[in-house]
Amino acid sequence: MLQRPVHPAFSTLRYALILLVVLFAAFPIFWMILTSFKPPGDIMVSPPRLFFTPTLDNYVHAIVDKDFLRYVTNTLIVSVISTLFVVVLGSLAAYSFARYNTGDGHILFFILSTKMFPAIAVVLPYFLIFRDIGRTGIGQFLQIGLDKPGALIISYTMFNLPFAIWLLVSFFQDIPRELEDSARLDGLSRLKVLRKVVLPLAAPGIAVTAIFTLIFCWNEFLFAYILTRKTWSTVTVGVESFFTLQGILWGPVAAAATLAVLPMLLFVLAMQRWMVRGLTFGAVRG
Amino acid sequence: MIELKNVTRRFGLTTLAIKGLDLTVQDREFLVLYGPAGAGKSTTLKMIAGIVRPTSGDILRDGVSLLGVPPERRDMAMCFENYALYSHLSVFENLAFPLRARGVADREIQAKVTKIAETLGIPHLLERRPGFLSGGQRQRVALGRAIIRPASTYLLDEPIGHLDAKLRHRMRAELKGMARDLASTIVLTTTSSREALALGDRIAVLDQGVLQQLGTPEEIYHRPVNEFVASFVGEPPMSFLDATAEREGGQTALRLRSGHRLPVGPGWAAPLRDPTCRLGVRAAELSIADTADDRHAVPVTVDQVELLGHVRVVRLSLGQELVAVVVPPERQLAPGQPLWLAIDPARLHVFQDGRAVSHPAMPTVH
Repeated sequence: MLQRPVHPAFSTLRYALILLVVLFAAFPIFWMILTSFKPPGDIMVSPPRLFFTPTLDNYVHAIVDKDFLRYVTNTLIVSVISTLFVVVLGSLAAYSFARYNTGDGHILFFILSTKMFPAIAVVLPYFLIFRDIGRTGIGQFLQIGLDKPGALIISYTMFNLPFAIWLLVSFFQDIPRELEDSARLDGLSRLKVLRKVVLPLAAPGIAVTAIFTLIFCWNEFLFAYILTRKTWSTVTVGVESFFTLQGILWGPVAAAATLAVLPMLLFVLAMQRWMVRGLTFGAVRG
Repeated sequence: MIELKNVTRRFGLTTLAIKGLDLTVQDREFLVLYGPAGAGKSTTLKMIAGIVRPTSGDILRDGVSLLGVPPERRDMAMCFENYALYSHLSVFENLAFPLRARGVADREIQAKVTKIAETLGIPHLLERRPGFLSGGQRQRVALGRAIIRPASTYLLDEPIGHLDAKLRHRMRAELKGMARDLASTIVLTTTSSREALALGDRIAVLDQGVLQQLGTPEEIYHRPVNEFVASFVGEPPMSFLDATAEREGGQTALRLRSGHRLPVGPGWAAPLRDPTCRLGVRAAELSIADTADDRHAVPVTVDQVELLGHVRVVRLSLGQELVAVVVPPERQLAPGQPLWLAIDPARLHVFQDGRAVSHPAMPTVH
């Protein structure tokens, strides 16, 4: 790539713009974390206070009184299992679409088309279906039903699969067919080719898909709100439960929100290198 | 022995890659599939490998059909035209891949990879990923991966086409030596007539999915069965002249389009169904002189001169037509210069409707 010399004024302007965007994106998070350490008297004041005596009362309230860590655990279980399902099913489906053109594009289009209606359109039917399944023996055994993890896992898998397949198809398509042919001739069976050649080459793509799916599941609100009551509520619903009839407890809300955001924040920071690589180095070279 | 019997391969509804191909590859034979791009060479290799299924027809090995045998159980090794290197593995691991797949011990892998890397001149690249190699380097890795393990048949799809001239020359010799040492069957595709003639025990010339001719390099070069093979084999390409056979008394002569007569002796007219034909002449089998004599009887002018190093290729105009001839490099010629051309009837290739017609003056091929 040809690098042209940049005028210092442009360079300054560029950094100023980047700073603005970063401030815009990061300030709410910063303020949330700040608020979570504020005593009640320091939260809703004008002008806003940047300096105060920090307290852990909000966290104590959220964790001890509201049992918020349970929501975090619930979310972790539901998100991770959903993501596993999405990645495994999505990879198999996408490989089939990419390599064998299964369904001549029609099935792929159908799968994508399920993304075209709003989630709210199906959430009530889902509610009724899961309520009825939950009353059967199988539903109880598999934990599928209202306020059960199975219902959320199925919903999340359903709703994230189309996007995951769409993303993965392009990654699999980038793997030259000859690589698989060559591996077969080198003596590997079809399944071994998948394990030794296709999966390692598609790994960045699969990682990106998994990261996105996990984030989507973690932040999902509507399904969790409708399909769970108390036992299996997720963090988004948990935070919402702080909005009570008596009023909004801003301090505990901020503490709970911080607890809800923190795992994902750390996860994404750790995975950042992978995400950039997966999104930009889509093409397999060589 | 591998036999392709009436093999046809279609891609989609419109593309007919291979049409009714009958081809036999003998054991321990070096067979070259030679033809222009799109002739169906790669498709033929892939069908032998088991990667592409024939649309119809059968492929047999020692009389048993291979169609139900998956590629991994055919005991064949293939070098792909687009290299097909595993980009997530180092060059070392790429070369080791076929050995690892067969559970070869680490020490043996180490030794074999080192040896093959030295043969191919890439020992300094072993730790690199394929993405950081040049085209020629990748091609050498691909070739190395194909020949690193013993196999009953090696299928090499243009394995040295992207190397520089010097390396290509060396690799050609390596391949020939390898063919002798391995005592395995090798099927190689190429678009270079020089490579085909140099390497093959036999050459199969393909064009548009149809086998044009199958024979030894000598047969292909000296007895091309049709105009396509004649024009495609040999460098510089054969020149063609339109001619009409005339009979005067017991003697036959060929009248060229430029009007010149070429007396050829008795017995010529018989094989010709009608008097018009096309004559093929090889550049190396023509001679030129500054003055006319008994042999040099056709006046020509120099059109263009190309130095190839060891020879000069001279393009001559003969009336409306062009004839290529090779002369020693020390011979100085300028465009526009008049010369006399000698055409030896014994060296003529005669074609009618694109097919070769034998004539009495043809020498026998050994």
